[in-house]
Amino acid sequence: MDIKTTFWFFDRIKEDNLCLLYNGNFSDDITTKFIELSEYNITNINSLSKMKKKVSFLMAECFQNIVRHGEALENKVDVAPNEGFFLTKNWQDIYYITSGNLIEKKKIEDVKAQLETVNRLDKEELKVLYRQVLENQEFTEKGGAGLGLIEMARKSGQKLEYTFNDFDDKYSLFYNQILLKSDQEVINASDSEFEIGEAVNYHRKMISENILIIHKGDFSQDSIFPVLQIIEQNLQKEKKDSVSKKKIFHILVELLQNVSHHCLKEGTKKEGIFMIGESEKYFVINTGNFIRNEEVDKLTEHLDYINGLNGKELKDFYLSKLRERNIPNNGGAGIGLIDIARRLISPVNYSIQKIDDMKSFLSINIIA
Amino acid sequence: MIPNLEIKGTRDTPEIIFDKENNLFEIKGNSLPEDTTKFFSPLFEWISEYIKSPNKSTHLICKLEYFNSSSAKMFYEVFLEFQKIAKTGNEIKISWYFEPGDKLIEEKGLEFQSILDIPFELKEAK
Repeated sequence: MDIKTTFWFFDRIKEDNLCLLYNGNFSDDITTKFIELSEYNITNINSLSKMKKKVSFLMAECFQNIVRHGEALENKVDVAPNEGFFLTKNWQDIYYITSGNLIEKKKIEDVKAQLETVNRLDKEELKVLYRQVLENQEFTEKGGAGLGLIEMARKSGQKLEYTFNDFDDKYSLFYNQILLKSDQEVINASDSEFEIGEAVNYHRKMISENILIIHKGDFSQDSIFPVLQIIEQNLQKEKKDSVSKKKIFHILVELLQNVSHHCLKEGTKKEGIFMIGESEKYFVINTGNFIRNEEVDKLTEHLDYINGLNGKELKDFYLSKLRERNIPNNGGAGIGLIDIARRLISPVNYSIQKIDDMKSFLSINIIA
Repeated sequence: MIPNLEIKGTRDTPEIIFDKENNLFEIKGNSLPEDTTKFFSPLFEWISEYIKSPNKSTHLICKLEYFNSSSAKMFYEVFLEFQKIAKTGNEIKISWYFEPGDKLIEEKGLEFQSILDIPFELKEAK
């Protein structure tokens, strides 16, 4: 993952109110945070408020599927059991929930058959099938998916999209996408703006560039807090000492709050994109947001100045700024970047590209 | 007697206890509010009242788990306000706690120590 990765994703998801991509471990704590984040997003968009319960329910169902499939895998030694892919995005009045997990190739036919059955049935027929399966569990014995898929189809009122991609000789990646529309109108998968193949592309890019999480959307505190907690959970699993965990957390907070304080605001919305990934030894963090063209010179000057300082000079500069008696009126203190720069192994990498007469896109990429 | 200032801690704001009568002054927990100025303004109001007639000896205890850079700025301002007590002939002392191995909080304490003119001790929490 490098600085260009930010715009690669941003450009593809720029019209989304929220887009969250995750390629990692699924514990209960983490899934709760994803649901919290989506609920916050939905609460802030009036036309979607009726979907809140459904989205939460369907997300939980997807997570259970990922975990259940993981547990059913043979040879857990070479494949991490609870690893999976998860995407949730909101575009206009449509909510997309996509999950991806490994499945043994010999099970594909069964799962396919179940999906085809579910997609063939109408509302009433699905209800009947649900009761049948609930009573005698026939569906489950064959493939392990069972009630979950039926519930997804019933609750969303849409056909389930799915695809299988080769992983290795023994396993495939099974992707499954649900859409929800506020007015319940049925959409054909082929008419949908976002096809499952695009989600698969995102996942591939995340795997190849070792990206854990991408968040595009609102950067107000209620929105970034669940994201921070998801990352904190992941950091705890890393075999890195507590000092470096806190350092990473600190850098994240400063970068995310910087986006929130300095991004170009549309109405009350503070919008940007953020991603975290790993290289062999370090964490890589990218942020991206729009800024006003008239701010470009000042920011460039500030960043170049910081990048030209050594460790001791950065500390002195930080302390001198700390002692300044004026406090900026945007709620920040103007010392975040200086404090971050002190803790990085290389300068703050940045790029600014002009979008139009009013705004530019600022990308920041750091390694810690 | 000025009323106590007691603020419950949240996931992103610290717990504050400023109690003149019982001579208790504590800041604990996390501090990374979205709008730092807004959160800290009641503290400044309280302190400016307090320093008009401070206790003979004031001991401020800081037990922070994590705080962001704009909170650092605010803590510095808070300490400067308390520092004014020294000029009134009364005692003021700050104790800064850090968990063993927590380099970030320890380092922040050392920084404050280097730029303040009142007793500021660093203590490893047990």
